[in-house]
Amino acid sequence: MSFADWSGGLWPYVALVLFGFLPSEAWRFLSIFLARGVDEGSEILEWVRAVSTALLAGVVANILITPSGALASVPTGARLAAMGFGLAAYFVFRRSVIGAVVAGEAAILAAAWWFS
Amino acid sequence: MPLSVRGGNRPRVLRTFGRHRTRLALTSPAKPEDPTSSVRWFGAGFLHAARLPMFVMALTFLGVGSLAREAGVSLGVALCGTLLIWAGPAQVIFLGAIITGTPLPAIALSVSLSSVRLLPMCVSLLPYLRAPGRSPLLSLYGVHHVAVTSWAESVRNIPAIPPAGRFSWFMGLTHGLYLSAGAATLAGYMLAGALPRQMAAGLLFVTPIYFIAALLRNVREPIDWMALGFGLALTPLLKPYIGAGLDLMAVGLIGGTAAWAGQRVVKARRARRP
Repeated sequence: MSFADWSGGLWPYVALVLFGFLPSEAWRFLSIFLARGVDEGSEILEWVRAVSTALLAGVVANILITPSGALASVPTGARLAAMGFGLAAYFVFRRSVIGAVVAGEAAILAAAWWFS
Repeated sequence: MPLSVRGGNRPRVLRTFGRHRTRLALTSPAKPEDPTSSVRWFGAGFLHAARLPMFVMALTFLGVGSLAREAGVSLGVALCGTLLIWAGPAQVIFLGAIITGTPLPAIALSVSLSSVRLLPMCVSLLPYLRAPGRSPLLSLYGVHHVAVTSWAESVRNIPAIPPAGRFSWFMGLTHGLYLSAGAATLAGYMLAGALPRQMAAGLLFVTPIYFIAALLRNVREPIDWMALGFGLALTPLLKPYIGAGLDLMAVGLIGGTAAWAGQRVVKARRARRP
């Protein structure tokens, strides 16, 4: 039962809703019930926020360590160096997110062309 | 009224908004249910999105759009995927699995595992998004918009916004993101295959560099530093032992709890100091 078997008419959309949308949305739905007792300024909110921050940092680390697609063709060392360059730019440009993105992108593009 | 937060280091979002509403603030305090105030907060959120997040979204979703083309799904499915799933990593998993011909139930499982992270993210924003008397359907619509970018942009800004404006501001922010992600999915779908591989690598790098910079910008207290550092450091350590998408959840729980405990230690020390 793969996606190709659900072709024709609205079937691809049904497959998208059943196997893409609902499995993802379920967590958002569940959060409404779990957030009931959580109030602004509460200790548990601090904890949940820290868990989310650590999770997102983990997402970034994951992309850097085991990237998918075209990014995998850039060596790990070069990916980490580009990240370091972007972060340095963040502080050099006085905590500028734009500065970090532009510098990091410049570095990764240079590396991608160098190693291709 | 944003009067209470007017000060040197209030978030940039409020400074922008202040320009638009200074006159209003001097004449009449906006009532919480004032519709013009909602529209203005929606606009302020939209403008916040237009500053950088919309461009980041656009670059990321160019990649998603071209992946959709590669997966052989129709443009309609690609666009609905962006609007319905509204989580970049889940979409990449969904489309990637279609390319490899993975069975649909297995796709659903990996999509769901990658989206567990939405749970703590939604819980940490919901206290700011709900209001007495707001219908559960509207709450569900609001919470649907929580994704990594909208979370990173609002988790530190939203507490500084007056409660009456928070939902509207968040809606403005996320609908701006929707607009750019949808347009970029379309563009990526059209451009698929025309992009050199190096450019594709660059597009995939936008997400990590932007997230890290945005998380750094959100740092206010030791707990934020620690959560960020533990998350980065724990991932390569735990990855060999915990696989199948559960590693991220472990990183979040262990790293987040350690950061929270660390913050308590720091607070206790500060309190003891004379």
